[in-house]
Amino acid sequence: MTALSHEDRAALVDSVRRLLADRCTEADVRRIMDSESGHDPALWRALADMGVPGLTIAAEHGGAGLGPVELELVMEEAGVALLPAPLLSCTIAAALLADGDAGDLLPGIADGSFIATVAFAGAGGWSGEGDVIVRGGRATGTARFVTDAAIADAVLIASDDGAYLPLHAPRVTPLPVFDRTRRMADVTFYGEVRRVGDAAAVRRALDLAVVALAGEQAGVARRVLEMSVGYAAERHQFGRAIGSFQAVKHMAADLLLESESATSAARDAAEHLAAGSGEREAAVALAAFACADAAVRCTKDAIQMHGGIAFTWAHPAHLYLRRARSAAQMFGASPLWRDRYLTALEAMA
Amino acid sequence: MTDDEVLREVQDWLAAHWKGLPAHHESFGRDPRSEWLAQVRDAGWAVPRWSRDWYGRELSNDQARIVERAFAAAGAPGAGQDRSNLWANTALAHATDAFKRVIVPQLLAGEVGMCLLYSEPGAGSDLAAIRTRADKVPESEGGGWRITGQKVWTSGAAVADYGMLIARTDWDVPKHRGISFFFLPMKQDGVEVRPLRQITDEAHFNEVFITDAFVPEANLLGPLNGGWGVLQTALAYERSVMGDNARGPRSGAGGPKGDHSLLGLAREAGKLDDPVVRQEVAQVIAWRVLNKLNTRRAKAELAQGNSSSIMSLGKLAMSRILHEEARVRTLLLGAESLLEGPEHPRAEDANFLALNAYFTSIGGGTDQIQRNIIGERVLGLPREPEVDRTVPFREVRAG
Ligand SMILES: Cc1cc2nc3c(=O)[nH]c(=O)nc-3n(C[C@H](O)[C@H](O)[C@H](O)COP(=O)(O)OP(=O)(O)OC[C@H]3O[C@@H](n4cnc5c(N)ncnc54)[C@H](O)[C@@H]3O)c2cc1C
Repeated sequence: MTALSHEDRAALVDSVRRLLADRCTEADVRRIMDSESGHDPALWRALADMGVPGLTIAAEHGGAGLGPVELELVMEEAGVALLPAPLLSCTIAAALLADGDAGDLLPGIADGSFIATVAFAGAGGWSGEGDVIVRGGRATGTARFVTDAAIADAVLIASDDGAYLPLHAPRVTPLPVFDRTRRMADVTFYGEVRRVGDAAAVRRALDLAVVALAGEQAGVARRVLEMSVGYAAERHQFGRAIGSFQAVKHMAADLLLESESATSAARDAAEHLAAGSGEREAAVALAAFACADAAVRCTKDAIQMHGGIAFTWAHPAHLYLRRARSAAQMFGASPLWRDRYLTALEAMA
Repeated sequence: MTDDEVLREVQDWLAAHWKGLPAHHESFGRDPRSEWLAQVRDAGWAVPRWSRDWYGRELSNDQARIVERAFAAAGAPGAGQDRSNLWANTALAHATDAFKRVIVPQLLAGEVGMCLLYSEPGAGSDLAAIRTRADKVPESEGGGWRITGQKVWTSGAAVADYGMLIARTDWDVPKHRGISFFFLPMKQDGVEVRPLRQITDEAHFNEVFITDAFVPEANLLGPLNGGWGVLQTALAYERSVMGDNARGPRSGAGGPKGDHSLLGLAREAGKLDDPVVRQEVAQVIAWRVLNKLNTRRAKAELAQGNSSSIMSLGKLAMSRILHEEARVRTLLLGAESLLEGPEHPRAEDANFLALNAYFTSIGGGTDQIQRNIIGERVLGLPREPEVDRTVPFREVRAG
């Protein structure tokens, strides 16, 4: 894993931010989310040209060889822009494949030509429903809420005891999703699979997924707060900018605390992952619920701060609320992570 | 000097000098550890970032932190006062050189007790409404200032040697522009301190009646009528420190100090399996940890030479932590929280915390004022209209 200097990191984030400001505007997000597939190959190509899908893939497999810290920062930008692209899916899939013997898939993921995603099956998963059984080299059953499955070239199976690559194309049934910027599907497996990673690889991939999502949530929280503050400074009622009213101002101050705390939590968890520290588990759990809760609270109050305008479809606030509410249910909801957090602290005490 | 040299020097110094101190209970007034603090000051560890002329070592932020960490590791107090000592920082930034020579070394060694003479019965959140007056004594009579007025909620006034005082020096200009900032000697006839019994049943804060008390000319900090600016930096300082650490439970060093000890209490109470309790405990611990992470990020941003908006969030975060921690402690103790006294230290801690949490959420500016500050100065939202902002103070209605 390469470690970037502070400046190089800032430059990376800056170039991703500029690319997204240019290629992933609100109009782009709406166009993509209204499209049949919910995917824009041109945007994905532009991200791939910048090395984004391969950020955490080892250099020998064509990636940039960077770590969770850089990924988290890039995901913050993805959250800000509400990026409708299979970045999270591909990142988790690549993490699952990193140590196994299916490394031949990695260069394709890194250069954007091969889209992969992960079905979390069984108790180790987050869906709570649907189950895939892998036995004797065969998988049967249905995994639910698999992100980007309809556009994926491969859907890996992550189970408690390891990761598997199906050798036949599974059946993919797209789901009507609340957050249209992140498509999901039910995926039914019914054939031979190849083992591509062990249980430890699954846990590592899940940790990385949670931290990446936390970064995205922190970005979402930051962006809607910015939007609301900007609006509160401009919108006048009763002859004053609404931001001069304390009910509005105090809400904004509270949201700043939420949003900055989320950023701190996500970045801290990424650092613990990168360092392989003993406090990793606690840090990841903390980021999982702190960022989910902050994103939901900020996106929710942002609409209140905007008033009626934000209740319209045309205003972007609901897109962020949809993203935040949906993301808060992925990989386990906050109560579960709070419980895990305490368990991790108990183990450390 | 390299980082390693700094570390070695401070560790060698501590090894040679630090012999520990008897258990220290929180106190106001002259610091009982002042002999030790004087040694720390003279060695240059008290304010490592400051210039050599002013007891410092001109160390970088990172190196100063090495010093602080070495002191913390040894359990020795006194280092890093360039970040934490409100009094010394205010004096260094604004006092006349002559007064600085006298007061700064005493402040760094805790040889003088200090208090804040800001609030008045009619001026709390709205500090610019103060009515305590400072009148110039004619040069023919020796110069200096005569102070008359009433202050209130003054922590530590009974044992203080000096009070940082704001008083009105010009009544014909709008309220923010006629205020000056002084170091008032407390031990004089014109200063009467009456303790106030607090909700915690302690009496750390007081009413202070000031009648024709005298302040020498040298004790004016900052420009005449420019006291509002001095006050703003002093207040910002106080608030950032309040977000960093807060007073723990009354049982002192041996008692629980928040943080993971909430976990210990839950275990002792046999409630670590209760799923509802687990959620509450985890959330409070999380807030505490998040505040630490925020502070760390703020310091990193400052160390890189950027300003940090996160710094202003600590006090608000701390208020929530303290109030919520007290609530969850009470939840864990159940009916035991009805009791107090030495046989029930856990209950006493929980109840004390519940009451004392207001120290942070009211003292140093209320949470509401803090939200106004964050909204206006950090987020750039428009100010609240203030009807008396431009009126000469003489014409302002008193409340
Ligand atoms: C434990 C403790 C120790 C203290 N120690 C000291 C000390 O050492 N020295 C010192 O000078 N002072 C001290 N104080 C005083 C403290 O700074 C004031 O109490 C505080 O600033 C609030 O002022 P007030 O009590 O007059 O309340 P008020 O200003 O009357 O406020 C009452 C309520 O109105 C709200 N409010 C007022 N103005 C606004 C506004 N513009 N926007 C929104 N809400 C508003 C407040 O938030 C509060 O809820 C201490 C207070 C406490 C509790």
